Amino acid sequence: MNRTPPPNPGAYVAQKRSRTGRVVLTAAALVVALAFLLPVLWLIASTFRSSTETFANSSSMNWHMLWPAHWTLENLHSAIDNGFLRNLANSVVVAAVTVLLGIVISAMAAFALAVVDFPGRKIVFGMVVLSFLVPFEAIAIPLAHTFSDWGLTNNMPALILPGLGNGLAIFTLRQFFLGIPSELAEAARVDGAGWPRIFLRIYLPLTRPALIGTGLILFLFQWQAYLWPILVTTSDGNDVAPVAIAKTFAAFSTDYGRVFAETAVLAVIPAAILLGLQRYFVASVATTGSKN
Amino acid sequence: MTLTTHHPESTGAKPPPLPKGTLQRRRFVGNLSAAAIFLTPALALIVVLRLIPVVQAVNDATHTSLPGSTLPPRYVGLDNFTALFSSHAFWSSVQQTLVFNVIVNPLQIALALALAVLLTQNLPATGIWRTLVFLPAAVPMTGSAVVWGIALRPDGPVNAALTSVGIHQQPFLTGQGQVLGSIILIASWIGVGYWMIFLIAGLNDIPAVYYEAAAIDGAGPLRRFWSVTLPLLRRPLLFVLVADTVSNFVLFAPMQILTDGGPQGKSNFLMYDIFHNSFELSDPHTAAAELLVLLVLMIVIVAVQFRLLRSAEES
Repeated sequence: MNRTPPPNPGAYVAQKRSRTGRVVLTAAALVVALAFLLPVLWLIASTFRSSTETFANSSSMNWHMLWPAHWTLENLHSAIDNGFLRNLANSVVVAAVTVLLGIVISAMAAFALAVVDFPGRKIVFGMVVLSFLVPFEAIAIPLAHTFSDWGLTNNMPALILPGLGNGLAIFTLRQFFLGIPSELAEAARVDGAGWPRIFLRIYLPLTRPALIGTGLILFLFQWQAYLWPILVTTSDGNDVAPVAIAKTFAAFSTDYGRVFAETAVLAVIPAAILLGLQRYFVASVATTGSKN
Repeated sequence: MTLTTHHPESTGAKPPPLPKGTLQRRRFVGNLSAAAIFLTPALALIVVLRLIPVVQAVNDATHTSLPGSTLPPRYVGLDNFTALFSSHAFWSSVQQTLVFNVIVNPLQIALALALAVLLTQNLPATGIWRTLVFLPAAVPMTGSAVVWGIALRPDGPVNAALTSVGIHQQPFLTGQGQVLGSIILIASWIGVGYWMIFLIAGLNDIPAVYYEAAAIDGAGPLRRFWSVTLPLLRRPLLFVLVADTVSNFVLFAPMQILTDGGPQGKSNFLMYDIFHNSFELSDPHTAAAELLVLLVLMIVIVAVQFRLLRSAEES
């Protein structure tokens, strides 16, 4: 049989190599993703089996480590019976209010810094960036002293307030606002529109993906929060879910089932949100590092 | 063009009904008041959340009081700092913090970059792999910390895996030589996917023409990474480096939940030590002094990183 050589041997080889390369790279991506997923699978499996089984099966390697032999809802029941839903509700309320108010506050600031031309704009922007470069955790302890002096502890406003001032959110939205042609605002000004109207009718509708991404940044901050909540809440009923988990872990060091169940519930919520909204997150952080 | 006078103060015979100067001034005032209104909530938050605590910390750090005493705190100037600087425990905490950060930050960024490059290669189901790697960042850190804490127990699954390949049980969180590595593992499992997303976004921003040009010039994958990707990714990399360093300097939950700074102070990083001094030892004054040291240290490191990358960019 007479095989005709490909028109461009070099290209053929490159193509062939790249196909093998693709298989290798895909395999690598799969392995890496599984490595990150494994602890989550173990967490979910451990949620649905008794603690004794968790450790009986992990002392020797077998597939029951990731697949319960006897499924049970006992751990979830135990978490619910001990008031975890109350803690979860606290977390949800804190995160939701933070996202809503935080988007409004960040968008307003970002709008002024990107669109409204006023003297000292650069200085104010520099100040905003610098002040938020110091992470909140670093000053949480002295701030907690101030909050308790003001009598602002053990309530929702105390938990929500720190989440509202987010430099990354302001920075991200400013970048997006800068990307909108200034002619749009100019034309609206000529037609007699004021700044609030331009903000609400032109800028916000055009930057919806960035607003969603910003919402995710604000959400993750509050959903993760741990140090601040332990500083400003003293009663179990006011605890947010991460604090409740840490307390369960410290208090019941032999029964890990409840810890697994609570962690799994707390992980499922952001996972579901992210699965739907991840692309907005990627799009919105895209601008953080580019240009200025 | 003599009919429209741009400068009302110039010698125009009859000023137009609405001189441009007035318009401009009105616009200027309007912009200023609009900016003030739009910025007020954010600036108020900066004052409450960033300035007041620093003032409070300076105030706490320069006073002293006896625990439980009702007497008002007494001003002592820099005494708390001199006491702190002569304390062996403090310097050991500084040293642990620096060692941890010198290892964890380059490691996390290298991993995040490698993953970002891998997951922007147009592979099948890339979205799923990205989501899985990013997932740990969404799990609250307390949850990740306790799950890893249980996984790394002597009778946990990690040791089970090691035993099955013939390695003895390891004291991951209780061994002096291993606790640092274990915390790095936990922090990286949580953080790498998060920083990867920023780098993926940066990689997507690099125009494809650069790669096409490089390919035409016969540059291989490594050469393209070195000569195209890295230089054009400098800004996102700088952002991630600074943000990652800052967040690792204040890492707190894993130590508070899993190690209490131990064993033998090997995971007693500054942020945990400050919390420990403030609440478990009821010494907010030493804690505040230590906090100011941490703040200064962080600001210096961030400034150096900016300077280094800026000079790299110029050359």
